[in-house]
Amino acid sequence: MKKKYSLIVLAFIVLLTSGSCKKFITEDPQTALTEEEVFKSLDNIEPLVLGLYTSWRNTKKDRGGFIFTMGTDEAQQGAYQVRTDDRQAGIDRYNGFLSASNTALAEQWNSRWPVISAAAKVVYALGLNSEESERKNIILGEASFIRAALTFEMTQYWGEIPIIDQAKFKEYGTKRQPLNMVYNFIIADLENAVKYLPVSQTDKRRATKGAAQALLGKVYLYAPEASGAKDYAKARDMFKQVVENGGYSLVPKYADLWDPTKQNTTESIYEFKFNNVYPDNNQTQWQMGSRSLAEVDQYCYFGGYDLMVPTKYCYQTTADGGVWEDGDVRKNESIRYDFTYKGKVPTLNPAFGGDELDPHVKKFEDPRTEGTLSFWLSGKNIFYLRYADILLCYAETLNETGATSQAVDLINSTIRTRAWNGNLPADKRWNAGMSQQDFRTNIMDERMRELCFEGWRRMDLIRTGKLVELAKQRNKWTKESGSIQEYHNRYPIPLQEIKQNDDISESDQNPGYSNN
Amino acid sequence: MSFFTIKGTVRWYALLIFLILQCSFTVFAQNSINVAGRVTGKDDKLPIPGVSVKVKGTGTGISTDKDGKFALNTTSNSTIVFTSVGYVTQELPASTTMNVSLVPEDNNLEEVTVVGVTIKKKDLTGSVAGITDKTISELPVTNVNQAMQGRIAGVLVQSNDPRPGGGVSIKVRGNNSIKFGADPIYVVDGLVIEQAFNTINPDDIASIDVLKDASATALYGSRGANGVILITTKKGKSGEGKIEYSAWVGVQSFTRNLSYLNAQQIVDLRLDAYANKYMDGNPTADRQAYINTLLGPNSIAFGADELAVYNRGESYNWLDQITKKGIQQNHTATFSKGGEDGSMYVSFNYTDQGGLLKTSNYKRYGGQINLDQKIKPWFKIGTNTGFSRTEESYIDGGVFGIAANANPLLPIDDKITYLSWKGIQSTDLYNPIRSLTIDGKGKQNRLLTSNYAVATPIPGLNIRTGISFDVRSQDYFNYIPKDLGQSLRNSYNGRATQKKESWMNWQWDNSVSYDKSYGKHNFSGLVSFGLTQNNYNYNQIDASGFATDDFSYKYLGGAYLKEQFQLGSDFVTNSLISYVARFNYNYDNKYFATLTGRYDGSSRFGNGNKWGLFPSLALAWDISKESFFEGINVDALKLRAGYGIAGNQNIPNFAYRSLYRPVFSDNSVTYVSDGRLGNPNLVWEKQKQLNLGVDVALLNSRLSFSADYFVIHNDDLLMERTLSTTSGFKNTIDNVGSLLNKGVEFNVNAEIIDQEDFKWDFGVNLSSYKNKITKLYGSVDAIYNYGGFTGVDIQREGNLFLNQSLNSIYTYKFEKIAQQSDLERIKDIDYGGRVIHPGDIIPVDVNGDNKIDDADRIVVGKKDPKFYGGFSTNFAYKNLSLNAVFNYNYGGKAISGLYEGLLNGSGEYAGITDVLDRWTPENTNSNIPRAYTGSGRYGVGETDYAIQNTSFLRMAALSLSYNFTEGFVKKAKMSNLRVYVTGRNLFTITKYKGYDPEGGDGYPTSKMFVAGINVGF
Repeated sequence: MKKKYSLIVLAFIVLLTSGSCKKFITEDPQTALTEEEVFKSLDNIEPLVLGLYTSWRNTKKDRGGFIFTMGTDEAQQGAYQVRTDDRQAGIDRYNGFLSASNTALAEQWNSRWPVISAAAKVVYALGLNSEESERKNIILGEASFIRAALTFEMTQYWGEIPIIDQAKFKEYGTKRQPLNMVYNFIIADLENAVKYLPVSQTDKRRATKGAAQALLGKVYLYAPEASGAKDYAKARDMFKQVVENGGYSLVPKYADLWDPTKQNTTESIYEFKFNNVYPDNNQTQWQMGSRSLAEVDQYCYFGGYDLMVPTKYCYQTTADGGVWEDGDVRKNESIRYDFTYKGKVPTLNPAFGGDELDPHVKKFEDPRTEGTLSFWLSGKNIFYLRYADILLCYAETLNETGATSQAVDLINSTIRTRAWNGNLPADKRWNAGMSQQDFRTNIMDERMRELCFEGWRRMDLIRTGKLVELAKQRNKWTKESGSIQEYHNRYPIPLQEIKQNDDISESDQNPGYSNN
Repeated sequence: MSFFTIKGTVRWYALLIFLILQCSFTVFAQNSINVAGRVTGKDDKLPIPGVSVKVKGTGTGISTDKDGKFALNTTSNSTIVFTSVGYVTQELPASTTMNVSLVPEDNNLEEVTVVGVTIKKKDLTGSVAGITDKTISELPVTNVNQAMQGRIAGVLVQSNDPRPGGGVSIKVRGNNSIKFGADPIYVVDGLVIEQAFNTINPDDIASIDVLKDASATALYGSRGANGVILITTKKGKSGEGKIEYSAWVGVQSFTRNLSYLNAQQIVDLRLDAYANKYMDGNPTADRQAYINTLLGPNSIAFGADELAVYNRGESYNWLDQITKKGIQQNHTATFSKGGEDGSMYVSFNYTDQGGLLKTSNYKRYGGQINLDQKIKPWFKIGTNTGFSRTEESYIDGGVFGIAANANPLLPIDDKITYLSWKGIQSTDLYNPIRSLTIDGKGKQNRLLTSNYAVATPIPGLNIRTGISFDVRSQDYFNYIPKDLGQSLRNSYNGRATQKKESWMNWQWDNSVSYDKSYGKHNFSGLVSFGLTQNNYNYNQIDASGFATDDFSYKYLGGAYLKEQFQLGSDFVTNSLISYVARFNYNYDNKYFATLTGRYDGSSRFGNGNKWGLFPSLALAWDISKESFFEGINVDALKLRAGYGIAGNQNIPNFAYRSLYRPVFSDNSVTYVSDGRLGNPNLVWEKQKQLNLGVDVALLNSRLSFSADYFVIHNDDLLMERTLSTTSGFKNTIDNVGSLLNKGVEFNVNAEIIDQEDFKWDFGVNLSSYKNKITKLYGSVDAIYNYGGFTGVDIQREGNLFLNQSLNSIYTYKFEKIAQQSDLERIKDIDYGGRVIHPGDIIPVDVNGDNKIDDADRIVVGKKDPKFYGGFSTNFAYKNLSLNAVFNYNYGGKAISGLYEGLLNGSGEYAGITDVLDRWTPENTNSNIPRAYTGSGRYGVGETDYAIQNTSFLRMAALSLSYNFTEGFVKKAKMSNLRVYVTGRNLFTITKYKGYDPEGGDGYPTSKMFVAGINVGF
């Protein structure tokens, strides 16, 4: 009996140890790639980089795409929204709600780092990759470009920020780095991008050499003095290459820039690609349109919910103290003044905020949705780098490097000529004898006329030191609140970051902000 | 990889034999006596004929006669053994008069199937509590959890979803895990199941046992950390075959709704709010003149239609448009028979629950077949197999909330797309009446089958193999018609969704167990080996653009917006290997010891961290069996102690890896991270549990009492924590810290009156626990829970703070409602952009730095109750019995978002009548903030102002039943007949201001009146 029992136990033990244990409890994901797999081959890295373009693009859509434009001298929140959400209102009011716990800003901070970090991993992985070098280099250029573009945006608004470099992760960690390191890092990335990116790409979502050059020029121009990277001459040279050898040109009709059937024109250096199908729509019209029209019809292409409207300065004529001169065709292409819909002018619901039928942002209207799609599905491409912007920047650097008359001439012959439909009247022509200082003032208005709502205004105000002065003058809510200070040139580091990032503590907060 | 080597076994056997030799041959002087008596059944008191009455250890024996009587001659120190089929065997010392009552086996299920092995219930040495079919049948319930509610100490069952077929949350001994797997596992006839517990028909359940401490749950090792609920289904009973039918019908309705402001009150409030705001900015203006403009044409405060309703004196209740009375019914028919070599049990069940919201409905059809059969004297096979089909009609999730909080100034209208306030449509407020046309259906099939074969080559040795399957498929269908806001807003032109999910879980267990008694040494041991695999896959299609609404979700091929098609699918498998060894020993049924070890390997962890060992030891001492206890009037006194480690592996799959998935966007495929940082260092969550318990029975067992004390150290808590996005990821799964959980549980049962015609018994249980986070990873003292609209707000709940409860509430502290006299005092405090006027909330500047910021947020309370439990009582007079079941909960706190919202005081949204007593310059003694519109002051939800007390006492059930007399029943050719009426949730006493302190704020709780019948043939 004993023997029999032992045999049974023995059989049992054989069963127990039958070797395949480890295999049985090793389950690999059947529907996902692991990080090792993704970064192993170019065939996987390439779609990953395409994904980064998409993630970057997504920071520009919907509400989040306009957070940085609010609180400037060209745009402000709609009256209904500003009174319903204190924190978001803080972006325009520059009051106690513009603080570390401002969620609207924290969202922007949080949405960008994963893109930067993934781009950094690509750069690192490509360094270890030994596949075909041409393709590899293009991808390296793209990843460098994406990382640079986002890092540049972050440092413009937040100042000293972490540098994400996989190779130096031990050294850098995720602490805030001095401005000169941050800018040198951006410049190095862009130099790589210029080196490796091709002149043109068939997939318009992908960056080109011209885009890298244009952005590098902007980095030299926009870098704060404290970074030591500001260099008008280098900026000028970079812009010159784009202007003279980039193969770009202004489209003859300003209106064509906003026609959804005419995208990726010769004027586009880089634009974010959208369409009318979720998730590639951009919802901008939902944010920019008028509530009064939304009330009439959700499929009216200029309806929406008034997140952001132009300031008076931005929509009025010079006669009324605004920015627009007579006959400038850009005015009516950029801003909607007429709300007549199907023959009727909607009435203003008295319970609304009051500015629903005041002029609205028009650049993002997508007439393709009219009558068939909700304006939530608006999906025109959104410009990032436009040739006109580079011309303006180039002129600015010419002015700063002492070539004011050349700068005036450039503006007259390109930007302003087109603004008057190819026929610039003499009284609208800038005077070649304009002083360097006057040019500085005028170019800022010209930039507003040409580029309003395209996302560069806050940076322009910060770099020229005009944010406080002009926002206080021209932004209704900033003026009403009266609390904007110099320290508002930077945004507060989000509270969540301070709490979760071991390398950033409360004392690292930007000056002026409390951690509430 | 085994604990059990041959060499070890032999050695161990030698030790045992040695012990036996030491103790078993004791010789006493012996006298001859005559023993006589009668054997009856414990419940029915009827004589049992044919009981085998034997003198233990000898061949002497006799059977009882038709009156249950017997007589025999034996020695005075001998033990008499009473054995009868269908009854629990009893051993008693011989005495001259022996009137014995035998306990039917069915009421005291001796055995329970745990992982692939059947063990004696009394061998589950640790803290085990349970209920049997008798208790379950007292309440008309349709799912397992309802049946346990308030009945078992240490088990907190909360109904938080009153929708038909809605789920119930269950916690054993409070929270032990943070996020993953905080719920216990369910083991049905040995098969571990997950989710959809309401597919099990409570009428099929013979017993539910809750294993609460590690010495009991250690058998489940990696999965036992949050308790184990063992469900044993019924078996055919020995003796004559039985047919039983039970049915009940109930009418359900909401217990109460909140007292919402009506149209006139909303108007008054809004006028007050606007005037207050206006006067803040224009202190010298004419308030009444301003109010008059608000009531005039072109009002900035009212839509023209609202004023028209106001002037007509009307008010509209939208909720009435979507609610109804719910009729529920349940029918079960069972057929059973047992015999020498096997038994069978077959049942059919039908449940139909009409919901309280229009179009919502839940139906379940089910069947159960339990068979066991001896094929050879030494070989037995069996199956417990159940099938269920559920069919549900859903109502769109947002409908109730929108209807309950709808504008009373808005006339009922099924034509409008969105509801409005102030004449402004909100695209989030879909017209609830129209939403009723959303066609939502859910269908589920489930087969649960446990099958086994046992060989018993020598007495006491069982070799068992069992294979079990849980096969489940679930379909979800939904169609949003074209003209609904849900469709218009996103330009769907009709939206159909089909989701099909399927689960295939199998479990293969093999065990060898051995029972043996040598004299007073009783030994049992088992070793087992098991494999478990869970397979899941789903596919989902969302299609838009339908020419007609007529085909609902059924014809996807007709959808024309091809670009809007969305496809989803996934396949996931995870696997578990487990080895178990368990040894029980008791000496003379006085001293008990159980040693268990389980070794688990799980696919959810990375290489090097897959395996975990979960040992436990339990000891018990039955003092009442000691000789020094003779003569003391105590029927039982048992001390228990147990210590063990249980684990938790219930984390998302592949948490140890960073994953990337292809995403199709804008005509090309991109790879995108899912945002989670893989953590290769993840290890099991480990709970070290200590349990001390005592069981006492007094006064002929009419009073019984048990108490348990537990201490649980939970290390390596698993949690998803958000990361600084500079890491490139949003979150990671991590072992974040340690938790200490201590508590006590009491259970008292008393048969207060026990007479022939009148019986009264009373049972009460009370549980209490306290938990504290004792360690967090690294040097952090807090882990915050971020959420909200943008996902970056620190939430009030779900944060972890060192030395605080897991369930803390974290926010600013409410100081008081500001009075004019306070303004001077607070004028220098920086409220971060807010301005405080008399009647507004003042938060406490905790650190006194004249600035309200992050540093002033503190833990203001915790959600854990101080104690909770239930009590029940039963009166029986002749054939009539009255049964009442109560649940209670004391000392917990909760946030009621609903109530906070209703206190907004703007009149621009729904409000509650508490606002009528708001602060005004004339009513400064109020604790309700003043009316105000717009922002700029502290909202009700920003401080702990409206944190609610969740204490409650609820009468869960009151039941009156009548058992027809035997005579009547026999005449009607039945074996039993019982009819009853029951009221469920008849009343709840609470201060909670939301819907229900237990169920939360999604819906009010419901009550039900039920009439039922049980009949047997």
